[in-house]
Amino acid sequence: MPEAPMTDVALGAPPARRRELPPPLVMFGLFWVGLMLAVALLADVISPYAYTALDLRNRLAPPVFAGGDWLHPLGTDELGRDVLSRLIYSIRTSLIIAFGATIVGAMLGTTLGFLAAHFRGVVENAVMALVDFSASIPFLILALAVLAFFGNSMLLFVLLLGLHAWERYARIARGLAISASAQGYAGAVRQLGAGPLRVYGRHILPNIASTLIVSMTLAFPEVILLESGLSFLGLGVQPPATSLGNMVGFGREYLTRAPWILLAPAVVIVLTTLSVSLIGDWLRDRLDPTLR
Amino acid sequence: MLRFTITRLLRAAITIVMVVTFAFVVLRLSGDPAQIIMGADAPPEAVDAFRTAWGLDEPLWVQYVSYFGAIFSGDLGRSMRDGREAIVLVLERIPATLALTVPALFIKLALGIPAGILAALYRNSALDRAVMMFAVAGFTIPSFVLGLLLVLLFAVQLGWLPSGGQESWRHAILPVITLGIGGAAALARFTRSAMLEVLGQPYIRTASAKGVAWRRVVANHALPNAAIPTVTIIGFMFGSLIAGAVVVESVFSWPGVGRLLVTAVANRDLAVVQCILLLVAMTMITANLVVDLLYGVLDPRLRGGARKAEA
Repeated sequence: MPEAPMTDVALGAPPARRRELPPPLVMFGLFWVGLMLAVALLADVISPYAYTALDLRNRLAPPVFAGGDWLHPLGTDELGRDVLSRLIYSIRTSLIIAFGATIVGAMLGTTLGFLAAHFRGVVENAVMALVDFSASIPFLILALAVLAFFGNSMLLFVLLLGLHAWERYARIARGLAISASAQGYAGAVRQLGAGPLRVYGRHILPNIASTLIVSMTLAFPEVILLESGLSFLGLGVQPPATSLGNMVGFGREYLTRAPWILLAPAVVIVLTTLSVSLIGDWLRDRLDPTLR
Repeated sequence: MLRFTITRLLRAAITIVMVVTFAFVVLRLSGDPAQIIMGADAPPEAVDAFRTAWGLDEPLWVQYVSYFGAIFSGDLGRSMRDGREAIVLVLERIPATLALTVPALFIKLALGIPAGILAALYRNSALDRAVMMFAVAGFTIPSFVLGLLLVLLFAVQLGWLPSGGQESWRHAILPVITLGIGGAAALARFTRSAMLEVLGQPYIRTASAKGVAWRRVVANHALPNAAIPTVTIIGFMFGSLIAGAVVVESVFSWPGVGRLLVTAVANRDLAVVQCILLLVAMTMITANLVVDLLYGVLDPRLRGGARKAEA
C-alpha cells in the first residue's frame, strides 16, 4: 500500500479509477441471486407441476442424473410430489420471508437507533438496555420461546425473524446519527427550521444508508439460515406451505432411500447464503471504508 | 476497578430483571396461565385452586412480584406433559447436552484460534486462503445440512459411525464434529480479523522498528491485544454451552436440553419452555458478565466504566 499513491502524486498522474468488474466469485454470487429472484418471481410460470400435486405411481423416483426420467428432473418425494416444483416454491417462500424479515429488522433497528440518538438520556438508556437484553438470549431460543407461547402464523414468523439483528442496526444507526448530528449539514437544515422527522428521514438517513444496506446484506443470509433451521425443526413454515428448511426436514426421513429430496434444497440454501455473503463482503469493502 | 465491577453487576442484574419480565409478559399475553400450566383438560376446581395458590386472582403487579419470588426460589411450574417439575426435567437433560458442547468447545478453541492467528500472520498465503475458505464454508453451511451430510457419508455410505441416538461414546462423534467445525470456522474468521487489526497498529511497527524479534512482537504485543475482542466471542460460546446444540441434537436424536426444548415448543409445554428460556438467559448473562470483567483485567483502559467499544 505505501508506495503506489506516492508515485501517482509524483508523476502528477490522474487517480486511476477504472470501472472494474467485480471478482469472479462475486459475479457468480450476483448471477445466483439473480437466478433465485427470477425463480421466485416466475414460480407459477416455470414450475412443471403444482407443488402439492401427487404422482402416486412415481413415488421416490430418482432424479435424471441418477437414472430417473425427464418426467421429474429432480425426482419425487415419498408422496410422488415433484422435487423441482417443490424446490421452486420453497425458494419463493424462503426468499419472501428473508426479505420481509430483513426489512422489518432494519426499519425497527434504525428507528430505535435514531430515537436513541435524538433524545439521548432515558430513551437512549432504554434502547441500550434492550440491546443488552437481546444479547442475553441466543436468537434461536428466543424465537422458539415466542413460537411456543403464541403459536405459529406466517405473519408472526416474519415479524419474529425481523427481530433478528435489529440491535445491530440500532447500534449502527445510533452511532452514525450522533456523529451526523454534529456535522454541518444536519445543523444547517435544523437551522432552516426542519423538524426532526425531516432531518433524520431526508438528510441523515440517505447519508448513512450505504452502511445500513451493507448490514442488511450481511444479515440476510443469517435470516435464511434461521428460517431454514426453524423450519427444519418443524417449527417454522408449516405444511402444506413449503420452504427450503422444511424440505430438508422432511427429506431427512428418506436420507438413505432418496437423498435427492434433501440434497436439492440443501444445495440451494448453501449457494444462496454463500452468494449473498460474498456480495455483502464485496459491497462492504467498496461502499464503506470505515468498516474495512 | 470497583466502580467498573459494580456497573457491570448492575447491568447484569437489570438484564436479568428484563428477561424475567419478558417471560412474565409473554406468559400472560399468551392466555390464562392457570389453564396453560395445568393443561386444557384439568378439572375446574384444580384450575381455581392453582389460581389461588399462585395468586392469579390478585392485581397484576402483585402477581408480578410473586412471580419473581417464585422464580428465584426455583419454582418454575410443572410440565403439562408428565406433571413433573419443569426445572427437574431440564436439569436432568443438561449432562447429555454438555457431553456434546464441551468437547465441541475444545475443538472450536483448539482449531479456530490457531487457524485465525496463522492466517493473519501469513496473510494472503495459501494457508490464509484455505482458512478463509473453511471459515466461509462454516458460515454458509447450516449445521443441519452439515450434520446430515456427515450422516450420509459416515453412517450410510461407509457405515463407520452410528447415525443417531446416545448409546455409546461413538454416537457422540458426529454431533461433536458438526458443532465443532461450525464454531471453529466462526472463531477462525473472528480471530483472523482481530489479529489483522492489531498487526496494522503503529505500536507493532514501532516494536519491530526498534529491533524486537518478530516472534516476541507477536507474542508480547500482538496476541494480548488481539485477545480482547476474541474474548467476547469465546464468552458467547461458553454462554451457549447449554442451548447451543438445539439443531444438532435434533439431527442426531440426542436427548439433551435442545431436543427437550423443540418437543416442548411443538407441544406448547410452556412451563418447560419458560424454564429453559430463563436458564439459558442466566447462563448467557453470567458469561457476558465474566467477559466484561475479563475486559477490565485484559484492557486497563476500559476500567473507567465507559461502555464497551461499539463494534
